[in-house]
Amino acid sequence: MASSVHAEVLDLSADTRPARGRRRKRAVAAAGAEVNDGVAIIGDTSGAVSLAATGPDAAMPAQDIYHRIGNLTRVLHDALRELGYDKDLAATREHLPHARDRLAYIARVTGEAAEKVLNAVDHARTVQSELVQQATSLRMRWQAVRLYAAGQIGAHERATPAGRRLVDETCAFFAGLDGQADRTQAILTDIMLAQDFHDLTGQVIRKVVALAHDMEEQLVRLLLETTPAEQRKRVEAERLAGPVVNPRGREDVVTDQAQVDDLLASLGF
Amino acid sequence: MSTDARFLIVDDFSTMRRIVRNLLKEIGFSNAEEAEDGQVALNMLKAAKFDFVVSDINMPNMNGFELLKHMRADESLKGIPVLMVTAEAKKEDIVAAAQGGASGYIVKPFTKATLEEKVQKILQKVTA
Repeated sequence: MASSVHAEVLDLSADTRPARGRRRKRAVAAAGAEVNDGVAIIGDTSGAVSLAATGPDAAMPAQDIYHRIGNLTRVLHDALRELGYDKDLAATREHLPHARDRLAYIARVTGEAAEKVLNAVDHARTVQSELVQQATSLRMRWQAVRLYAAGQIGAHERATPAGRRLVDETCAFFAGLDGQADRTQAILTDIMLAQDFHDLTGQVIRKVVALAHDMEEQLVRLLLETTPAEQRKRVEAERLAGPVVNPRGREDVVTDQAQVDDLLASLGF
Repeated sequence: MSTDARFLIVDDFSTMRRIVRNLLKEIGFSNAEEAEDGQVALNMLKAAKFDFVVSDINMPNMNGFELLKHMRADESLKGIPVLMVTAEAKKEDIVAAAQGGASGYIVKPFTKATLEEKVQKILQKVTA
């Protein structure tokens, strides 16, 4: 997804690259002067080295530090505008909500997949348990038949050799079912435990979503400070954007097959 | 404590709650309730009697450490064993959990055998 977003940014910037190249060269020269001006305002870097070397206690008062940070921020804003990066920022700001929605979409879809597997495991466990119960019941009844067939109940053998063999094999089969059921249960447990990926990946995705949200807010603030209102334009909505990751509030998308069918029916299909 | 022990599973991911609940059932503990964060868990603990808490750490509203702190500060809850089951694998977190009064700590991903071993060990300590 990251590469996709990156590609979209590249696509958007592709037709303006030659002009931007020239503009950047001019802007770099201009920004260089401003950055130099900025350095002149904040003084040389020996203070910073000294600050790092001696620790905050021995450094300048906090007010001076805030003043310097303020100056640096101003220089950065101006340099970004001169370099034309305000437009890149605008494009990035447009893409960040998409990236965030896509991550949230991944979290939701993987969660749903995990739930489906867990449901299937639960159903399979129920079937397994019923199978074991039935097998146990039948085994006990066949063991009684086995005793009868072997002549252990009463003085004489009650069954033919073929009949006794059949009873023995049936009893062995029922006895084996327990072991097979145990092995299947162990496999189902493994499948169930494998679904913890949703928790593990979900936690990472949540953090990235929160980070993207913070970045977006900061970019919005930066844009408000640097971009004239009349220059703010919406990037044209992307086409063939893949699955709809956040249908909320959108009337241009369908959310399930019933809506697709309704739409097709309304068109006469 | 017998297999009748009542468990409270605390995790913000429903899949993990189900996994822990199923595993507990497999090892003989079928009496379990679920809570999606520490605050909900604390409310449930105050409203009904539980014998064992299995809790995640990283959760919204109230995390596992805060839940543990509240429980250990509450006279009626401080005796309930708390097993942390979490993806937080930093040593400082494990130390913090131990210092905060956790009874055990399992790092995700984990196996059924690990959960069973920790639960049994904690229960043996409690009943000893």
